[in-house]
Amino acid sequence: MALWVDQFRPRTLDELHYHRGLSERLKSLAASGDFPHMLFYGPSGAGKKTRISCTLRQLFGPGAEKLKIDQRVFLSPSKRKLEVNIVQSNFHLEITPSEAGNYDRVVIQELLKEIAQTQQVDLNARQRFKVVIINEADSLSRDAQAALRRTMEKYMSNMRIILCANSTSRLIAPIKSRCLLMRVAAPNAAEMEVVLKYVAKRAPFTLPPEAAKKIIDDSGGNLRKAILVLEALKMQSPDLTGPLAIAKPDWETYCHKVADLIVSEQTPARVMEVRAKFYELLSHCIPPTVILKTVAERVVERVDESLKADVMHWAAFYEVRMRIGNKKIYHLEAWVVKVMSLYKHFFYDMDMSAFD
Amino acid sequence: MTSKGSQKKTKSSLSKVNLVKFGTPPPSGSQKFKRIDPLTAFKTPSSSWKSDGEPSSSQGSSKGKGKAPSKHSIKTVTALDDEQDDRMWVDIYEPTTEAELAVHKKKVEDVRRWLTEAFEGGPSGKLKKYRRLLALTGPAGTGKTTTVRVLAEEMGFEIMEWRNAVGESSARQFDDSFDSFSDNYDYLSSNYASQSEALFSKFEAFLNRASSCQNLFITSTSSFSPSSSQSKARSPPAGKPKRQIILLDDLPNILHSGTQTQFHAALQSLVTSPISTPPVPVIIVVSDAGMRGEASDERMAGGGGWGKSKDGVVDIRTVLSRELLGGPYVTQIGFNPIAPTLLTKALQALLNKHFSTSSHTPPSREVLDAVVESANGDIRSAIMALQFACVVELGTKSRKKKGTATAVLESVTRREQSLVLFHLMGKVLYNKRKGDPPSASASAKDIQREKLIDSQLKDPPNLPPGLQEHERRTSRIDVDVLYADSPIDSSLFSLYIHQNYPQFCDGVEQCEGVADWLSWVDASGGEAWYQANPHRFHLLTLGTLHSLPSPVARRSQKIYKPAFFDFLQKEKNAWDSVRDTRGWVIGEGTGREKSFGTWSQTRVAMELGGILKARDATGSSESLPPPTSHRLFSNLGFTFASLGVGEPLGENEMSAQVEEGENEYTVRQTGASHDSGGGWLESDDIEDF
Repeated sequence: MALWVDQFRPRTLDELHYHRGLSERLKSLAASGDFPHMLFYGPSGAGKKTRISCTLRQLFGPGAEKLKIDQRVFLSPSKRKLEVNIVQSNFHLEITPSEAGNYDRVVIQELLKEIAQTQQVDLNARQRFKVVIINEADSLSRDAQAALRRTMEKYMSNMRIILCANSTSRLIAPIKSRCLLMRVAAPNAAEMEVVLKYVAKRAPFTLPPEAAKKIIDDSGGNLRKAILVLEALKMQSPDLTGPLAIAKPDWETYCHKVADLIVSEQTPARVMEVRAKFYELLSHCIPPTVILKTVAERVVERVDESLKADVMHWAAFYEVRMRIGNKKIYHLEAWVVKVMSLYKHFFYDMDMSAFD
Repeated sequence: MTSKGSQKKTKSSLSKVNLVKFGTPPPSGSQKFKRIDPLTAFKTPSSSWKSDGEPSSSQGSSKGKGKAPSKHSIKTVTALDDEQDDRMWVDIYEPTTEAELAVHKKKVEDVRRWLTEAFEGGPSGKLKKYRRLLALTGPAGTGKTTTVRVLAEEMGFEIMEWRNAVGESSARQFDDSFDSFSDNYDYLSSNYASQSEALFSKFEAFLNRASSCQNLFITSTSSFSPSSSQSKARSPPAGKPKRQIILLDDLPNILHSGTQTQFHAALQSLVTSPISTPPVPVIIVVSDAGMRGEASDERMAGGGGWGKSKDGVVDIRTVLSRELLGGPYVTQIGFNPIAPTLLTKALQALLNKHFSTSSHTPPSREVLDAVVESANGDIRSAIMALQFACVVELGTKSRKKKGTATAVLESVTRREQSLVLFHLMGKVLYNKRKGDPPSASASAKDIQREKLIDSQLKDPPNLPPGLQEHERRTSRIDVDVLYADSPIDSSLFSLYIHQNYPQFCDGVEQCEGVADWLSWVDASGGEAWYQANPHRFHLLTLGTLHSLPSPVARRSQKIYKPAFFDFLQKEKNAWDSVRDTRGWVIGEGTGREKSFGTWSQTRVAMELGGILKARDATGSSESLPPPTSHRLFSNLGFTFASLGVGEPLGENEMSAQVEEGENEYTVRQTGASHDSGGGWLESDDIEDF
């Protein structure tokens, strides 16, 4: 079973629907024989991964699509066993270091050393190097990034690294300067419509323009999300006419309701209630930073203009602590209490003298 | 643990003194190892070697306390003057009848019922099969072993007891080679290591023999296995039915994981083996050791999936395997600390007995009260302290200095007290400060005591006007003492604070303070995730006290256990289902895994919800449906009713209970944990803190 997102994913650079200029450049890079380390960055659902796999195909031919998944076991310094899934073809290898948690440095070092020390044995291979793709590179720990920078120089002869990240801000400068940066921007509405229509044609069904518009509005530039929503909608109401209710994931609605809870009452009892909701969200695998962001955005919509900056300020403040700290719930709650207190005092301390 | 250390030290230093000074030849056989009373040995050093003794096993004991009383064969307690009999009072006045037991009647009744059922099979006669293993748990010195012995006496069965014989051979070598000690040291240690293996096989043999071929030994001898002196049977008066139980008080070293597995296997096979006639039930005595290690649950909470180690603690879960605990063959009876009233009664009876024939005057009532108060429900330590108090009293009698007597008494009765978790939380969350009005339910004595405390507290200096908002009255709580007495580490402590603080706040402003401190303390530390701030406990306590209102309004708040662990478990399950669903999305195992990298786990959890729901709603019949477990993360209904607040924390519960949240054990508990009639603490007592 494949979802449409996967089923209709472009496989070559020529099939890509938007950012033609980028595709052209990637193509000529792949042809030049002097392929650099690369860093693809851009918002979620913009097509970074698609472009990376297309580039690989351009570099190595169809052989790069023959994948196998390995489970490798690494030993952490404290002799703990780490199991990491690794996808590889004959020409490349792909890892998601965040799976190794705090020990990503060990995994990165071990793997890269192994790749770097083996030569390409396939004489028919188009390139002499192997490619290592590192997903979610912005979640790499500082240690791991530091371990990367030396390796990138040292083993340039038989290895190239492609990093994939949402933003470059959490990558250390030495890494950024060793890579060719490729920004993959989110598609605009017109480009998204083209893609949705293409998907509809391949599915096949006809997509009413209103439905497409609605989906695009809702997706916020995330093409993957748009296609997923399209598929869900098609499943719910096969003719795609009439009023369409875009099915949001449960957690999003849930977050909005939590925000309403915060704004509607500010008491210790309500703090407990909100905490229970946060626990629920966390136990449904929603990342705490996403929870904080979603709830904060909703709260900002609901409060007075003069409070908005403060609400966001504290959200940022506690997000930093959350990243450093251990127990996410403390920080989520600290933010909630802070906002409640701000909100309460905003009304409480309101200067009534103007009304006299 | 201090008691063990000091005891050991005294013992070894004494033996040295003895060897050098008196030149006593090293005794041989089982007689060589004397049980030395640290107190009386000082007084009459030479005579202490004449009392009969058993191989001491405190070295091998993993519980850290001294052995249970009654190593000696039963003696009818005749009035012995302590000048002649220099055994400990604990041993001399060991209860022999149920009336003398300071244990609460219900507990004794529970144990008796179990034993009856084990031998006779209860009303239906079928329970025999399920009464194979009884685990007695509870803090040290609550009369667990003694209860068994008393009941053995009363019901007329034999006790076969396992003793670790660690002291025997190594001690002999120590004695023999005392002069060339340094040469032999290496040999000793290597010998010890090889022995541990053999030791366990001895244990296994003991279990086997004791449970199957007991009949051979009953009439002939009082010692189960005379050659080794590891086990000892007490022969019942002749003519009674020969029923036996196996008592495991001194366990093999189960902290060693290999031994632990073996031990579990041995018990398992014992329990599942067919019943022999007459049945031989097994009683295991487990003293709860306090759990206190920083950063042990930290790892679990922070690392997410790394699992956790619960090493270093002997509790019921390390002694019995999970299958046994959940299975039908094990009954657990928890003993509570002995209630002050019962303790006072027992000590008074002991004193009456002791001083009835003695010319000395018994210690005063205050001494008794002080001993009871400091004992914390541990009757063994109470009797020890009482005996020592009397010895001191006798020595200083001529001088008649009341002041020094109480000072000495204070030092006698001081021991490491751990605060019950419940009271720790009460102390912090009720935030008592100097000059608080006494609570409505406080007795006159309590009010007096509070006044006394207040009079010793200094007022803080006046703050400058800009800092007026931080002005608080002096707290009655000494954070250092609290930290020293805390039964839990700071991380668990913070979870408890977090779970409970909102009830104690009047408004969100106060919550803000506590929440911010919790957040700050959690995030403070080094760059690396494992570096924790060493001052977390103090910072958190002070921060909480500073932020909470004063006085805290009484709304009959209940203290709850942290819900954190339940949700952590839920989250782990949900992640498992995310992994499954991810496998489905990328078509794992179909050979067409293409889009592996695009579907990270968080992405699956966050973005697939809509489509999975639609799929469920329409019920489309695919060849490969997504795993149904996806609802664990994709289905999130919003309800306005607040979720269950969790379990309230009981007064007698120690921190070990928290683990239950993480590992779902079903512990069959006979006897509720709250029926401590006579009351270790009244429910209102929390307000005293």
